[in-house]
Amino acid sequence: MKKKKSFIKFLFFILTLSFIGPGVMLGEKRISNVRYEIWVELDDQNKMLHGKENITWLNNTRDDVQDMWFHLYYNAFKNEKSTTIQESKEEWFGAFGIKIKEGRWGWVDVTSIKLADGADLKPTMEFITQDKPVHPGDQTVMRVLFPEPVKPGEEVHLQLEFESKIPRSIHRSSYYQNSYFIAQWFPKPGVYEEGKGWNCHEYHLNSEFYADFAQFTVHIAVPEDFVVGASGKQIKAVPDMEKKTVTYTFYQDNIHDFAWTADPDFIKVERDFVADDEISPEEYEEVARMLQLPLEEVKLPDVKMILLIEPEHKSQIDRHFKALRMAIKYYGLWYGPYPYETVTMVDPPFRTSSGGMEYPTLFTAGTAILRSKKVLSPEGVIIHEFGHGYWYGLCANNEFEEAWLDEGINTYSEGKVTAIAYGPGAMPMSFQRIPLSWFCKLPEYYNYELERAAALHVVELDPITTISWKFYDRGSYGLNVYMRASTCLYTLEGLVGEEMMLRILRTFQMRFRYKHPRTQDFIDVVNEVTGRDLNWFFEELFFSTLNFDYGISSVASKEKKTYARGVFDVEGRKEEITSKNIKKMEKEDKKSDDKKFYITEVKVRRFGEARVRGDTVIKLKVVFEDDSEEIINWRGQERWKKFTFEKPSKAKYAQIDPDNIWLIDSNLTNNSLKRKPSRKGIFKVAAELLFLIQNYLQCVASMS
Amino acid sequence: MKILKIFEEGFQTTNKRLKMVIYLWLINFVFSVLIITPVYFLIKKDLSRSLMSDQIIKGTGLLWIGDIFYKYQDLLPALAGWFLIPAILFILLYIFLYGGIIGRIAAQNEKINLTSFLSDCSTYFSPFLRVFLISLVAYLVVFGGIHNAICALFDLWKKSASTEWPLILSSILDFLILVLLFSIVRMFFDYVRVRLVVEKSKKAIRATLLNVAFIGKRFFKAWFLYLLVVLIAAIFGIVYFAVYQPLPNIGVLLIAGFIWQQIYVLSRMWTKILFYSTEYHFFNLNKE
Repeated sequence: MKKKKSFIKFLFFILTLSFIGPGVMLGEKRISNVRYEIWVELDDQNKMLHGKENITWLNNTRDDVQDMWFHLYYNAFKNEKSTTIQESKEEWFGAFGIKIKEGRWGWVDVTSIKLADGADLKPTMEFITQDKPVHPGDQTVMRVLFPEPVKPGEEVHLQLEFESKIPRSIHRSSYYQNSYFIAQWFPKPGVYEEGKGWNCHEYHLNSEFYADFAQFTVHIAVPEDFVVGASGKQIKAVPDMEKKTVTYTFYQDNIHDFAWTADPDFIKVERDFVADDEISPEEYEEVARMLQLPLEEVKLPDVKMILLIEPEHKSQIDRHFKALRMAIKYYGLWYGPYPYETVTMVDPPFRTSSGGMEYPTLFTAGTAILRSKKVLSPEGVIIHEFGHGYWYGLCANNEFEEAWLDEGINTYSEGKVTAIAYGPGAMPMSFQRIPLSWFCKLPEYYNYELERAAALHVVELDPITTISWKFYDRGSYGLNVYMRASTCLYTLEGLVGEEMMLRILRTFQMRFRYKHPRTQDFIDVVNEVTGRDLNWFFEELFFSTLNFDYGISSVASKEKKTYARGVFDVEGRKEEITSKNIKKMEKEDKKSDDKKFYITEVKVRRFGEARVRGDTVIKLKVVFEDDSEEIINWRGQERWKKFTFEKPSKAKYAQIDPDNIWLIDSNLTNNSLKRKPSRKGIFKVAAELLFLIQNYLQCVASMS
Repeated sequence: MKILKIFEEGFQTTNKRLKMVIYLWLINFVFSVLIITPVYFLIKKDLSRSLMSDQIIKGTGLLWIGDIFYKYQDLLPALAGWFLIPAILFILLYIFLYGGIIGRIAAQNEKINLTSFLSDCSTYFSPFLRVFLISLVAYLVVFGGIHNAICALFDLWKKSASTEWPLILSSILDFLILVLLFSIVRMFFDYVRVRLVVEKSKKAIRATLLNVAFIGKRFFKAWFLYLLVVLIAAIFGIVYFAVYQPLPNIGVLLIAGFIWQQIYVLSRMWTKILFYSTEYHFFNLNKE
């Protein structure tokens, strides 16, 4: 009886497993609908990868799926017909684009693709170019047809073999000498979207990636003297004495990409992020209060931090770990606990063009030998790329179509973490690779200041929500999705308050973890958490190219005149009041104790096209010489409006948006206007400029 | 030892010619004021009545700088032209002034007044202009030829680099070589000018050719003397930065900062005269 019961339990367990599908563990909520097992061998001599790949894909939609689309990203570097290189040439006529020297091309060949039952799919293989404008020679998207459609809830098992030539020092994934950074390297299915089909875009110049959550088991064979780092957790290292290689096995579930690196020179350092050492009970309580969450929900787990660093940067090991600790702490406290056991931080191997890039549970930082501690680099890049573990890694938006959702939110988050952890950083200026801040005091700034200054220049070019490869140019893409989106989020923070903003991002992160959120999902969360309809905010600032600029155009105070010249009807007769009469009457008034009154007129203007809507108003503050204040809320719909005040003193200044909510305002200088000019600041700027010009002329004179 | 003696003589001569320092400073000041005047009025218009001008006192702020750049982004090319044309005019002006500087150094027993200074300026303008044109050819040969050849060697080194070190070292060495090459060309043509004044000649090509032999025979001594003055200029720069950097931007210290900047500019003028004074004494001592 006991045996029978156990058998039934076992049968139930197996049935449940097969029903739920790959990558889903009992007791866990969801997640992966793809399972990869990859064996890859690095051929150091020929700079090749030889790989075998087993893919199990679960059709978790209600569609019958007839085919499968794969990304073959390495083919972006195969020849000049690829979409990436074409786009690079189209922009600026190729002046600053990707230029691949002969012999440095990279490519991937799928040499075999079969179903687990042996059915050969290779004859059905074709390359697809569907993104507009079409680049017909591109081979970064491949399609195969199934002999039978995959029914809803069914799995399909594929076995692939592939060979890849690693590109040399090009774009994200490449080699230099015997150092490798390997990303976007294996044939990878796109994302099947119910009712729409495969979302599988070409490798574009201005775009990153999009994939389903998956379970990865990857066996990497490299020469024995190589140090290896990869996504996930290393579970095995098996040496082969004969071949003089070591095969490392890494495993990770619930991630949507897998990258690795190998370099014999790497120094590998492991440290633990111990949450109890990093966060005090008071900090937990404060965060729980701000987020309005139970204390238990904001508690953080410990994380194993792994650093692979080049020997010449050894002196910066502590800097790297400190930045990572700060990132794990604040992203964890604010947006949700980091859910993986490990995070691997890679100091990108020299000349592999792989710095500053994110992959699930692994990212590349980027530093230089000579670095000033006042300049927050590599700190900024470490915080940013770790942050992508949240915005892209966990909230896995489609970076091809809505890049701002990860880049913008993450640039904003990075700025917040950097500010709290380090304060402002010095300008990263150097001369002949020597940091100038070693010799002189350089201006310091917070990220949001620089981001705003950059963002202003692209407001009228493209909406933030433009598809990645359809921006005006690379500059517009970068500045819109990173800087402008971040500046708009700072503006949103100003509008709803800092704590509310934290709750918005926390809700968005936790609700869409292991999912593929869209822009509308973010807007819905904003509306839900704030309890306001802020659709207009996104329409004005994210979906459009409207310039936001409210300002003060004039402020003037004049004494209130009691008397007026002219002819007046007084008791049925005409009486003329002349200037002389007025002077006399005013003289008499002066003798009495009556105070003078002043009429102050302030004209506010909406210089830009964008306007506030809904329940939002533009605040106007007028400060008078007796230090009294008047605050007025303007709905801000008209092009201009005049406000009049009658006060016993003249105005000192008028200021619009005194709480500095509207960081996206393209002219903060005109947000305030003093009645009388002050020359101190102008003198300082003029003196600095004069000195600069004097020295410039002296240098020029040396040429004579 | 002889070089130090020449340096001392040059030092004394320079100190006797302080009036020229004032002339040069004044010219530089007026010229600079003319250049920045339109920029000043633009900034004044935008900032003098904004609360943002209070931020300027606190230091460089990206918020107001961002505003200015955004507002005047289309004017930037015109602004570049605005800085380029005065630079060319200033070069011509200095070619003119060199005559006065060297002429008055050479007239050791005469007092300096504006008339004599300007008279020397106009006397030597034409030959000095020719010297300048010859020097352009020399710059082209040195920087287009020699320096590029050295760079090509650095490129080979950088190409095979395994770390960033070769890039850093070659970058620093490249800069040092650039400065040293510039100092050589500059020094060479300084002596051509000195020769023209001492010999009261107007034959620029002849003076240049004669100078090849002159410098060739005593290159290291002349260069050492030149670099000694460069060192003085560098020390002035360091002292300027050391004092100016920590100066707070408040009240009367704003004015103090401005005065300190002008003292530094004066020191640059003084160094310019020191170059020619030492070169004059060196030339006189060694002329054949």
